[in-house]
Amino acid sequence: MKTPSFALGCAALCCALVLALPGRTAAAVDDQQFNDLKELVTKLGQKMDKQDQRIEQLEKTHGQDTEVHAQDQKIHEQDQQKIQDLERKLGETQRTVAEVQQTAAAATPAEPLPRVPLEEATVNHNFSILGDAEFQYAKTTGQNGTFLMADFAPIFLYRGGDKVLFEAGFDFILQNNAPTSSGRTTTVNLSFAQLDYLINDYVTLAAGNLLLPLGTYSERTAGWLNKIPDDPLPRALLPGSGVGAELRGAAPLGESGKMLNYSVWGVNGPSSADGSGNAAALDLGGNVGLRSDNAVANLHGQPSGGARVGWFMPFKPHYDVELGLSGQSGEWDDAGQHLWSAAVADASVHLGSSFEVKGEYIHSQYGTDDLGEIRPNGWWVQAGYKVAGLNLDWPLINNLELMNRFDSMHDGLGTWTRRYTVGYIYYLSNTLLFEGDYEFFRSNDPTQKNRLVFQLSYGF
Amino acid sequence: MLALLASAQEVEKPSPTQPPAPPRSELASSQTKPKADSKKLSGAELYSMHCNRCHPERYPTERTAAQWKTILLHMRVRANLPAGQSRTILKYLQDNSGR
Repeated sequence: MKTPSFALGCAALCCALVLALPGRTAAAVDDQQFNDLKELVTKLGQKMDKQDQRIEQLEKTHGQDTEVHAQDQKIHEQDQQKIQDLERKLGETQRTVAEVQQTAAAATPAEPLPRVPLEEATVNHNFSILGDAEFQYAKTTGQNGTFLMADFAPIFLYRGGDKVLFEAGFDFILQNNAPTSSGRTTTVNLSFAQLDYLINDYVTLAAGNLLLPLGTYSERTAGWLNKIPDDPLPRALLPGSGVGAELRGAAPLGESGKMLNYSVWGVNGPSSADGSGNAAALDLGGNVGLRSDNAVANLHGQPSGGARVGWFMPFKPHYDVELGLSGQSGEWDDAGQHLWSAAVADASVHLGSSFEVKGEYIHSQYGTDDLGEIRPNGWWVQAGYKVAGLNLDWPLINNLELMNRFDSMHDGLGTWTRRYTVGYIYYLSNTLLFEGDYEFFRSNDPTQKNRLVFQLSYGF
Repeated sequence: MLALLASAQEVEKPSPTQPPAPPRSELASSQTKPKADSKKLSGAELYSMHCNRCHPERYPTERTAAQWKTILLHMRVRANLPAGQSRTILKYLQDNSGR
C-alpha cells in the first residue's frame, strides 16, 4: 500500500504545481522546462501503472496460495482421519489375537517347559557322601576267636558355593555287650562335624567338632586309610577331636609341589571326668561345653590352644618327605589348677609308588592333685611295601602290600607297652582291602596279649 | 635319609600290575622326568603327588565333575593343600570325570 500512496502523492504534487503557478510565471517557463516536467510526469505515470500491475499480480498470487493452503489443509484432515481408522483397526486386531490366545490356552492342557540340561560342573551346591566300612575278626591269645566289629563310617559333605563346606563324619559300630549283659550294642559316634569357610587362598576358617591336627594320624590316617586295623598305641595319649575353631591353610613354595602348611586352633580341650584334678580323672575327649545336666558351661576356665606347622617336599610324584611339629596346651581340671599339654613330631616318606614309611613321636604331660606331674609318651613307625614294586610276573601277588609297625607307649603311671605288628593288605580293588595282621605284645600290663586280626575294609 | 632317597629312586621300577593304577599315561610319563623343580606340575602329577600320600588314588571317572568339586574342597581343608594346586588337581579330575 505504500507504493500507491507514493504515486498519488506525485500526481497531486504535479497538479498543485500547475494550479499554483501564475500565468505570468507560466509565461516565464520556457518550452524546455515544460517538456522536462512533462516527461517527468509521464514517467511517474508509467511507474504508477507498473506498480498497479505488480499489486494486481501479488494479489492474484496470494489468492492462489490461499487456495493451495486450503487444499493442503483438507488433505491433512483426510490423512488424520485415515490414521485414526488404522489405529482403531489395529486395536481391534490386537484384542482379537489376545482373545484367541486365551481361548487356545484354556482349551489346551498346560505343557511343562522343556528341561534344560544343567552343566553339572556349574551347579553351585552339591551333596556328596564319602566314607568307609570295616568288618573285623580277631583271635586273642587265650580267648575264643570272634567277629569283633562291624563299623560303618560315612562322611557327609555339603558344599554351598565355592567357599563353604559342611562336613560331618559318623561311626556306627556294632559290638558285644559287657559280659554281664545280654545281646549286643550299637554305638553311634560323631567323629567330627565342622563348617569350613575359605577366607582366601591361604586361610580357611573351620569351626565345630574338629579333628585335631596333633600329628597327621587323626586327619589323614584313621579308619580305612590306616593300613593296619588298629590305631598306634600312643595315639591313646591324645584327643582325636575337639570342639572349637581353627584357622588353617598352606602356601606353595615354587611350582614343584613344595609347600608349608599350618593349623592354629582353640578348643575346649581335655577335661576332668569327675571335676577333680586327680590323675585318673583326665578325660581327653571330654568337655564339649554342654554337660549332661544341661548346664551350658565350660568345665574349666580356659580353653586349649594348639598349632601345627608342616613342611612337604616332593621330589617327583610318589617321592616325597613331609615333616610336622604340633602341640596343644590348656587347663584340664575344673579348678583350673593344672595344664594338660602335648607335643607331636610327625614324619612320612614315600620312595616310589611301592614304599612308604611314616611315624610320630608323642609327648604329653599334665599336672595332677594326687600324683604330681605325669609325662606319658610314646612313638610309632609304620612301613609298607607293595610287592608290585618287585615287578614279578606272578598272578595275584602284585596286589599284595606287606606291612609292619612298631609302637611303644608309656602312660606315665608306670605301665609300658611295646608292640610289633606284621601283616599284609590284599587289594581286591583300589578301594576294597582285605587285611591280616599279627600283633606281638610286650608289656607289664597283663591284659595285653598277642592277637590275630583280619579286616575287610572298603572306602567309598 | 638322603642316601636312602637316592638309592630308592635308582631301584624304582614301573610295575604294570600295581594295584592303584589311575592317572595312566600322564603318570607314567611324569615318573621319567628328571627334575620336578624345573617346571610347573600338571594336574595329574599333583594328583598323584598329594592324594596318594594318604590313600589309593581314585579314578577320575568314579565321580562327577560336581562331586569332584566338593571332594577337592574337602581335601583342600583336610590335607592342607595349597589353593592353586588344589584347583589344578580339580581341573584334571573334572576334565576326566564320569560326567
